[in-house]
Amino acid sequence: MAVSSKVAITGIGAVSGWGWSAPALWEGLLSGRPAIRRPERFDIADHRTQLASEVPKALPQLRSIIPGWHRRTWADRYALAAAFEACRQAGVEGPLRGAGVFFGGSTAGMAEGEKYFKALLGRSSEGLRLHDIASHQMNGPGDEVARHFGVDGPVHTVSSACAAGGLALGRALEALRAGEVELALAGGADSLCQLTYAGFNSLRAVDAEVCRPFRKNRAGLSLGEGGAVLVLEPLERALGRGARPLALLEGVGASCDAHHMTAPHPEGTGAALAMEAALADAGLAPEAIHFINSHGTGTPLNDVAEGKALDRVFGERARRLPVTSTKACVGHLLGSSGALEAAATVMCLEHGQVHPVPWGRESEEVLEGIDLVLGEPRGLISQGNVPARALSTSFAFGGANAAVLLAAFSAIPAEGAGP
Amino acid sequence: MNGRPTVVITGLGAVSAHGCGRRAVASALAGGEPILGEVDRPPGLHREREGSSRKASLIRGLDFKPWIPPMAARRMSPPSKMAVAAAKMAVEECGVEAEALHEAAVYVSTNFGPSTYSERILRQVFEENPEAVSPMLFTESVANAPAAQIALAFRAVGPNVTVTQREAGALLALSQAAAEVARGRVPVAIVAAVDEISTVLHATLDRLGALATPEADGTEIARPFDRQRSGFLLSEGAGAVVLEREEEARGRGAEPLARLRFAASGFDPGASRISWSRDAKALADPLRRRMRESGLGPGDIEGIVSGASGSVPGDFLEARVLRRLWGEATLPPILAPKAVLGEYGVGPVVPGVLAALGEPFGATPGFEEADSRLGVVPHDGSPLPRPRRVLISSLAAGGAGAWVVLESMADE
Repeated sequence: MAVSSKVAITGIGAVSGWGWSAPALWEGLLSGRPAIRRPERFDIADHRTQLASEVPKALPQLRSIIPGWHRRTWADRYALAAAFEACRQAGVEGPLRGAGVFFGGSTAGMAEGEKYFKALLGRSSEGLRLHDIASHQMNGPGDEVARHFGVDGPVHTVSSACAAGGLALGRALEALRAGEVELALAGGADSLCQLTYAGFNSLRAVDAEVCRPFRKNRAGLSLGEGGAVLVLEPLERALGRGARPLALLEGVGASCDAHHMTAPHPEGTGAALAMEAALADAGLAPEAIHFINSHGTGTPLNDVAEGKALDRVFGERARRLPVTSTKACVGHLLGSSGALEAAATVMCLEHGQVHPVPWGRESEEVLEGIDLVLGEPRGLISQGNVPARALSTSFAFGGANAAVLLAAFSAIPAEGAGP
Repeated sequence: MNGRPTVVITGLGAVSAHGCGRRAVASALAGGEPILGEVDRPPGLHREREGSSRKASLIRGLDFKPWIPPMAARRMSPPSKMAVAAAKMAVEECGVEAEALHEAAVYVSTNFGPSTYSERILRQVFEENPEAVSPMLFTESVANAPAAQIALAFRAVGPNVTVTQREAGALLALSQAAAEVARGRVPVAIVAAVDEISTVLHATLDRLGALATPEADGTEIARPFDRQRSGFLLSEGAGAVVLEREEEARGRGAEPLARLRFAASGFDPGASRISWSRDAKALADPLRRRMRESGLGPGDIEGIVSGASGSVPGDFLEARVLRRLWGEATLPPILAPKAVLGEYGVGPVVPGVLAALGEPFGATPGFEEADSRLGVVPHDGSPLPRPRRVLISSLAAGGAGAWVVLESMADE
């Protein structure tokens, strides 16, 4: 296979608290409202907080296109629905010979594993069903996508907590550049489960209200669920078959804080390293970036560290760089957040608008030095034929960091493009 | 790989029921005897029936102080401790300087992550109250906790990646790390495989019929490639290696243990979610293709470290993939280290490096009668010449497959 230099995104699919499609997500993001409410998946009464972004019920027609709906885990359904949507948009269908699947996740089928475990403990009226754990492992959603679309190339699942989705995109990019695959389905899917809901609450990391990233009164994150899939292929292949590139994936960077299991490095050094690595991977200078889709969890420590990381990478310009947070709208999707946020960033670049974070209360002040896109979308302005570019960042438990660099696609040859 | 600078393994570490370090694992493989302990069986978890497994290869009461300060160890889950200890052994052997380690990438594979901590958290949620969940348990319950703890132990700020692709994960992690090193993105990579056994995990695999069933005398034994095989032995432990570019390793006077010649991976979309594929062609094709691209043929492989574990469908697929590649030709010696070390635990890379080093492997325990459907017979314990190239094979339940070929440094 030919070694490729530019990688195009030709399809995206997304499942989120806003619904079962990328347009539903985009419409929700533009609305400036959060899809964060009281979840119904499990009894939340005994938990410290009672909010999350839960995926709404699927329409019957969607259930009919995903074979074996009732046997599947929530995460598998999200992965398959997103993959169907992405492949349809890209104009590809299985069997996808010569393709690979690169997924990130952290809970995968844990919700169903919990049902099994509860039954094992004799605390469930539903009885013990081994099929509840058939797709329990982290590789479940990625494998299901590979199985359904007849993928015979590498299938690779990363589970590096909240950085997993971004790292999976990095692995896909490398596989395409090396000619290892000619098409990649990259993404992730995670569902809400009691283990992570109780776990994040035990750390006092969950806001009892809807999360407020980069606000001075922020008090933690909101959990979410869903999934996203991006179809990636060499640009020349996409153009050759008449596909419409939505954006380019120009670089991915990764690093580790090596500082603390849960707290980010207070100076944001690891986060900055990942962003610098993504820029280096794309052969670009910081000036090429037009906005940041931040990790933006809303936890007191993360947002300050992230602000410092932006200062390190962008210097004085960090204060004028629009910053948004998809998590403020659909919660934190954990291992799949990097994939969903990359999909959201692609839509921002495609539509020329940075989606806003929802308004909180009138009195909320934004952290100093952060140009937060608040309440209303902001238009993207790029000069000449320089394409708009963005970094989408993910900073995880254990200090694992990933930064994904995406560029708007224009049929006119771009200036400043990297390798 | 891919015409890039060559990558070598310069350090190796292991934590297993047989002991810690290279020598302990090498002795175990030479001796050919698994070490098994009784698994806890709290009421209700296991199926109380004849043929239910009671044993596994367990790490109990290991003193981690030689590798991990007690202050740090008290904050770690068992897999984190095992992975950090194995990584410390590997780093000590390779002799890389602290400056290079600071930039190191860390790649870890795990099948189940810190499963005892997840189990304890869920007991707190379901038997006590969600508010009873321990934050310390939660922090260490994530799959990437061992990778994070390795990074903390070495202050390693390079990419930190945890791969979870079942039995294929260890070789996928190795190949991805090797690519990072070859590209020059990092000077060094620490690659580890780790797993622990919780009672729920053991009970569940037993319920799924995956584990070796007890013999008439109560012994439990895996029988890789044997006609009477009934399942695998579950094991906990960790294996770790250090990767560097060959030129730089030699430049600092290191003596590489083995060279990575190539890696390959593939997927059979026809495989079921919980078991191994039956389509050997789907997995043999990507290996054959990659072998050809690397300028090699089956005849260049002088030893195979198979993933055979005693699993009925797993060993069937393993044998059929090898037979597809070799056809009617004589296969090189086929080692089945999982018969001794168990499934998961140390992982496939450490036995692969030991094979490339020419360490002796004993007879495959449990193998008595060939399975005529397989056309494969494992190593009988006779002395073997040091192989020039060793193929490590890891085929996963669910459809993934991964392979690595290591080159011996014997002639250099």
